Amino acid sequence: MSSMREIKNRITATSKTSQITKAMNMVSASKLRKAEKQYRAFIPTKNRIKAVLEDILATYIDVTHPLLEPRETKKTGYILVTSDRGLAGPYNNNLLKTFKTFLHENHASNDEFIVGTIGYKAFSFCKRNKIPMINTESVNSRDDVEFIDFQLMSRSFIKYYLEHKVDKIVIYYNHYVNTLTQKVDTYTLLPISTLTKKKDNQVAEFLFEPSPQEVINHLLPIYLENTLYGIILDAKTSEHAARMTAMKNASDNAEEVITKLNLYYNRARQNAITKELTDIIGGANAVN
Amino acid sequence: MKIIIVTPEGELYNEEVTSVVVSSANNGEYGILPGHLPIISTIDTGYVKMTFEKLTYYVVIVNGLVQQVHDIITVIAQDAYIGESKEAAFENLFAIRKARIEANRQRNVELAMAENELKKQIKQTGAGNL
Repeated sequence: MSSMREIKNRITATSKTSQITKAMNMVSASKLRKAEKQYRAFIPTKNRIKAVLEDILATYIDVTHPLLEPRETKKTGYILVTSDRGLAGPYNNNLLKTFKTFLHENHASNDEFIVGTIGYKAFSFCKRNKIPMINTESVNSRDDVEFIDFQLMSRSFIKYYLEHKVDKIVIYYNHYVNTLTQKVDTYTLLPISTLTKKKDNQVAEFLFEPSPQEVINHLLPIYLENTLYGIILDAKTSEHAARMTAMKNASDNAEEVITKLNLYYNRARQNAITKELTDIIGGANAVN
Repeated sequence: MKIIIVTPEGELYNEEVTSVVVSSANNGEYGILPGHLPIISTIDTGYVKMTFEKLTYYVVIVNGLVQQVHDIITVIAQDAYIGESKEAAFENLFAIRKARIEANRQRNVELAMAENELKKQIKQTGAGNL
């Protein structure tokens, strides 16, 4: 058995760790509430743009755009949405593992795909596994994510798609089901298949400045980025939930370890006392 | 006539106005007065000039949609900044964007350093090998 001092040291160390994990749990809980609110607030905005696009597509049949037409897939683009930092339980690992198995099963060579990453974890994963990347620098997944953070990447993906360098874009992310469950999910960003032809019943007809085609040309990339933004918010919510659960577990485990160590400590103390007592009694007996 | 400017962070502006001028780099400039037909247009980089009696404000818009239905103008933008003059608003926008990109770059460096440090520590302490 280890000495009393060693056990004491371990108890102090574990309780300090549990203090940190408790604090992180609380921080994540408040961030989760905020992220969830932001995600919910964003949905109407997204739907509004979608409604405009659907209205145009329903009213003007001759309006088309390459982003809307599916074609034979030769090269696929993937976007991985992860977090910047670890300590979020299985959050990043689940996603990266799923993605890796998928790559092994579906692609024979590295020329068949290209990856865009959001979050440092995905960036270093791709670097480690020598996966071709579209972005040379990691795209930050900050808590206060803004369009400008990932715009460089999303615009170059759209450009690649229009130049026929990629034929399909799939996003991998963690979907937020509830605080305890986050599920790895995929979403096909391009070609766009979510738009149905539906008339907006607010007014009989809109004027378009300068023309419906021009509006579609500018609005489609915006719509795509909004979708991506929505997914990032969803993933962000999952991240905080995952971190919260992981930190809760860590705190609980720390408590358990401390109880166990306390038991050992008391036993060691008892041992030491007994030993001293036998020494004293032995000494006294010898004198008499 | 009412104008509502929405960004992902929430409502930026929600006020009564007398006239609005929408100007963008991609398709020029047009004005909206009360009673205009329902109209939709987009802005890649541009501004919305709002006039209420004698007051004038400029809001710089990045990648936005302008929609006017029944005298309610809705502007949905990815980024919007308000200013008293066009130049001030644009300057504000560029300064904020530049600072943001710089901050992101700095963060990447910090994250890379943290990762290296972690790797070193794991190697030194032999963590994970019980």
